[in-house]
Amino acid sequence: MKNLSLNKKLAGIALLLGFFAIFLGSPYKGSFYNINSKELALITGNAVDHVKVDELADWIIQGKSDYRIIDLRTEKEFAEYHIPGAENIPMQTLDKADLMKNEKIILYSEGGIHSAQGWMILKAKDFKGVYILFGGLEEWNEKILFPKIPENATPEQLAAFEKIKEVSKFFGGTPQTGSTADVKDKPKVQAPKLEAPTTTPGTTSEPKKKKEGC
Amino acid sequence: MSELTQTAEIKKAETDKAKPYWNPYLSGIGLGLVLLLAFIVMGRGLGASGAFGSVIASGLNAVAPQHVNSNEYLKENFEGGVNPLKDWLVFEVIGVIAGGFISGALAGRIKITTFKGPNISNGKRLVFALLGGAIMGFGAKLARGCTSGQALTGGALLNLGSWVFMLCVFAGAYALAYFMRRQWT
Amino acid sequence: MNAPFFKYGLFGDNVSLIIAFVIGIGFGFFLERAGFGNGKKLAMQFYFRDMSVLKVMFTAIVTAMLGVYYLSVIGFIDLSLVYLVPTNILPQAIGGLILGFGFVIGGYCPGTSCVSAATGKKDGIVYVIGVFLGILVFDEFFPLVKGLYNATPMGQLTIAQWSNIPYGLLVFAVVLMAIGGFIAAEWAEKKNAGKEGSVIPERMDK
Repeated sequence: MKNLSLNKKLAGIALLLGFFAIFLGSPYKGSFYNINSKELALITGNAVDHVKVDELADWIIQGKSDYRIIDLRTEKEFAEYHIPGAENIPMQTLDKADLMKNEKIILYSEGGIHSAQGWMILKAKDFKGVYILFGGLEEWNEKILFPKIPENATPEQLAAFEKIKEVSKFFGGTPQTGSTADVKDKPKVQAPKLEAPTTTPGTTSEPKKKKEGC
Repeated sequence: MSELTQTAEIKKAETDKAKPYWNPYLSGIGLGLVLLLAFIVMGRGLGASGAFGSVIASGLNAVAPQHVNSNEYLKENFEGGVNPLKDWLVFEVIGVIAGGFISGALAGRIKITTFKGPNISNGKRLVFALLGGAIMGFGAKLARGCTSGQALTGGALLNLGSWVFMLCVFAGAYALAYFMRRQWT
Repeated sequence: MNAPFFKYGLFGDNVSLIIAFVIGIGFGFFLERAGFGNGKKLAMQFYFRDMSVLKVMFTAIVTAMLGVYYLSVIGFIDLSLVYLVPTNILPQAIGGLILGFGFVIGGYCPGTSCVSAATGKKDGIVYVIGVFLGILVFDEFFPLVKGLYNATPMGQLTIAQWSNIPYGLLVFAVVLMAIGGFIAAEWAEKKNAGKEGSVIPERMDK
């Protein structure tokens, strides 16, 4: 009968632990956090928390998918234009967003302020791989969608521009060639039209990262 | 569990010259602690079928690289230029084989034999084993994991999909058990 | 302390592979100890004659669940850093059924077949080959099953999030369910004592 009592003891321990669990709440934490201010100051000081727009453009073209792009603007703004593959998580809902702490997350907003603030929120929640798209959508428009050729461009600059033209066309942008067009009819730059299926939820929200499951 | 079981196991052990299996609850606690260790150290659970998948992918890549490139599912294995064999699950499964061997050797259970019911020939049993394995392999891929990766790991983390999966495994097995009785009983 | 250690960068990828091997040894060891290298013993679960599968599996689940729950409540481990396999209900349900068929036909699952093969069992070795074939078929026909494979995506989702039942209450419910299952399992084994493959070969009180 010794064995029987061992099993019963084990069952008793499990029951007890299970019972107390009722009162101890969720193991996924709430919304109060401590931040390591020194660590954050170092990261921001060294500017290792940035992703440049041309880097991101490269990743998208190469089809890399080990990251998530998060658009922090409003739903309306998101609907008008967003970077291909981006998901919309308005600033107000960032705190409760369905993001995993071990994902590589790239935040962007119109300029840089909201994304920097969002970065802070996520960092405080101990997210590991949060980055800011440097310069935000403004920079994206300027450098990727509507790149301009500098006046009196050096050959190196010309070569660089030829390259960026290809990138720009990939994203449906219009490179601004020739300074005349630029001065005369300065059109309000139209963001490229969104093709409907660019972001079907489910394909973008599931990054194809290295499988960790069975 | 009672002395009934114990005496029975000892009796069985005498005929097999192998030590009896452990009390299932104690083995279960051991298994649970290993799983907990994986959570603590690695932040992930255990697995098995994933490793099989990696071996297949790199095998195919060695034989027919173009073919692998044309299959989007297989291609994923090679993204980022990593060798799919240099994978956590592959090393874990090598460990499983080693651990199984160690335990078997310590208990005197290393023996070339075939497990089956009394009413089926060895050959037929092996055919069923091959068939069952193939069905399992396909199902595990479809379900994104097997008994270890889904049921055990996801079970302990209260993962919704894993619990649905686990219930379906038992449902499927019990549903078919009657038709398989000649093999086992 | 900060766990999971790997996610906090305490060691790199190469060390993680060594750890994988060590954890694998533990996994294989306890599977073999439980008798899970024996396909017949495993299959007897489905004839209510040897309920070890249920007992071992649920004891392991309860142990790890309680462990990870208490360790995260005291702040030792950050549960949100522990990987959850994303939920896709439909393929997981259908895959589970298929897996169940394979289990009772072949007698193993992928993990236990490795243990069986490692201890020299022919059916285990053949089963491993079968698993490879099945995966090969899946890979080759992936375009055909892709729709089903990606159907009903729900992301990383716990039962607590899905049902809004407090996590702690679910923990207690799982413990209760497991113990209830164990009592039923012991009862079933006694009832089937003496039958072929039963864990209790004959009734002592006869």
